[in-house]
Amino acid sequence: MTKSIGAGGGTKNRFFSRGRAESPDSRFAFWLVFPSAAIIMGLLGYPILYAAWLSLHDFKLSRPQSQPFVGLTNFVQMAQDPEFLAALGRTTYFTVLTVGLGVLMALGLALLLAQEFRGNAFARTLLLVPWAVPPVVNGIMWRWIYDGNYGALNWILLKFGVISEAKLWLGTPESALNAVVFAELWKLLPFITLIILASLQGIPRSLYRAARVDGANAWQRFIHITLSSLRNTLILVLILQTMWSIKVFDVIYVLTQGGPANGTTTLFYYGYLETFKFLDVGYGSAVAFTIMLLVLVLTCGYITLLRRQRGSSKVAKEEAKA
Amino acid sequence: MSRRSRRRYAWASLRYGLLGLALMYLLLPFFWMFLTSALPSSDLTSMPPKIDISSFSFQRYAELLTDPTFLSPMWNSTVVAVSTTLICIGVGAPAAYAVARFRFPGSRAFMLTILATQMIPVIVLAVPLFVILQAIGLLDSYEGLILTYTAFILPLVIWILSGFFEDIPPSLEKAARIDGCTRLQAMVRIIMPLTATGLAATAIFAFITAWGDFFLALVLTSVEAKTLPVRTAEFQGLFKLDYKTAATAGVITSLPVLLLALTFQRYIIKGLTEGGVKG
Repeated sequence: MTKSIGAGGGTKNRFFSRGRAESPDSRFAFWLVFPSAAIIMGLLGYPILYAAWLSLHDFKLSRPQSQPFVGLTNFVQMAQDPEFLAALGRTTYFTVLTVGLGVLMALGLALLLAQEFRGNAFARTLLLVPWAVPPVVNGIMWRWIYDGNYGALNWILLKFGVISEAKLWLGTPESALNAVVFAELWKLLPFITLIILASLQGIPRSLYRAARVDGANAWQRFIHITLSSLRNTLILVLILQTMWSIKVFDVIYVLTQGGPANGTTTLFYYGYLETFKFLDVGYGSAVAFTIMLLVLVLTCGYITLLRRQRGSSKVAKEEAKA
Repeated sequence: MSRRSRRRYAWASLRYGLLGLALMYLLLPFFWMFLTSALPSSDLTSMPPKIDISSFSFQRYAELLTDPTFLSPMWNSTVVAVSTTLICIGVGAPAAYAVARFRFPGSRAFMLTILATQMIPVIVLAVPLFVILQAIGLLDSYEGLILTYTAFILPLVIWILSGFFEDIPPSLEKAARIDGCTRLQAMVRIIMPLTATGLAATAIFAFITAWGDFFLALVLTSVEAKTLPVRTAEFQGLFKLDYKTAATAGVITSLPVLLLALTFQRYIIKGLTEGGVKG
């Protein structure tokens, strides 16, 4: 994206590309991008507009002959729907826990893996196992582990005396939601860890040496060098994981089907039920759109945070220079 | 031992201990699923479970791998995931090369669109895609699923690949152009071979994503094009207590992607972290 080359000299093209699309490089690039752009526009762009149209109509598949335009009625109904608000609450709980615990655990794991030790490369390779396992299989795996009668979790916890009697982990709304959180953590942890690890390895060793010479202790070195160098990476990971956590579906479908007593019905699952079980397509589309808006607002928020911190660190650097 | 070396020793064992715990958390669940698929039920339901390699039986594997209602989803998943991967790389690689090398009208807008697609929850598109595919007669068909997966995976492929292309010095194409190559020849003959590992890693990434998708397959297929994850999920619903068959199906569903991921781990890790570190 940043480099530009060409027969006639890259810089020239960069200046003229805006006005003149007919430069040979531009034309070549256009044809390279065209098929992808057409696929993305046709198969993502058009459906999104269609979804927007649906969300403004009273569209029920059980009554296909009339789909009147109702404006924002679906969204108004949503704001007063206790089930929707409860699902929003659960999504928030799920997202905060998976993102918070995920990033903390991944940071710890990445710090451990960044050390030189025997079997280090092997340990990193093993990280790919949970990452590659299909989400449905993740659900199947944990359902058996959480089983109330023969589940491995009960067995281990009983053995170490953590609990005194076997528990039905998926039996109550609260514990089922927490169970889903830990099943999902298993799957998302490796990716965050790998990204943080790659970023950790990019921190120059000399910084630590210099800090040591200046008399900084381990904790100070961690805060002022490690954490501050990781800041951008951590924000990126927060963005990505928030996006994914809000969109959780597969593991819930297999583990709990949204139950018990709707205890694990998150926004995405609620939208799925409304659309494909109750066939209320208009309302379901409105829920789906709200999820998208939520992701958009959160991402913009994070990016603003990123910009502001970049800005302030620039200021700090300039002050240091002066 | 001096006090200092003793402290260092304690610190190292703490580190190894934590690392061991973390790796157990990451590996045991899958290993346990494998044991579930291979051990006799009576051994699994005794407290504590009896784990004895001599009593391993792969009968469930034999049953599933001869069951047409399992084999046909397996074949469907293979066709759909392989086709999606080939199309994504074929269409995405030139586009990624273009955005990595050239500034052209709309190049920034294109990259922004690619980023924006990552924010679209699949559920927003599920109904429109359902209606569109139904209208053109591609509901519950390979073509319909391949088109849908391509739309979702292509942006990601372009994003990852453009990182790989940026790593290659532009002077290589310049030299090729001076030697008389056309732009297209320089791209196909010089740059693509140099990015072979990146292309392979991205292809595996695309394959794993297509293979593992559940939601779109659940909504857009029913019988003809049903994929393996949808079939595997059914074991959980229909026979609630038959964990052994579900676990066996789980292991079979994971095996292809696990083998790919572990074989090409170095390139995949590079591909995954590329965007993160640069961004």
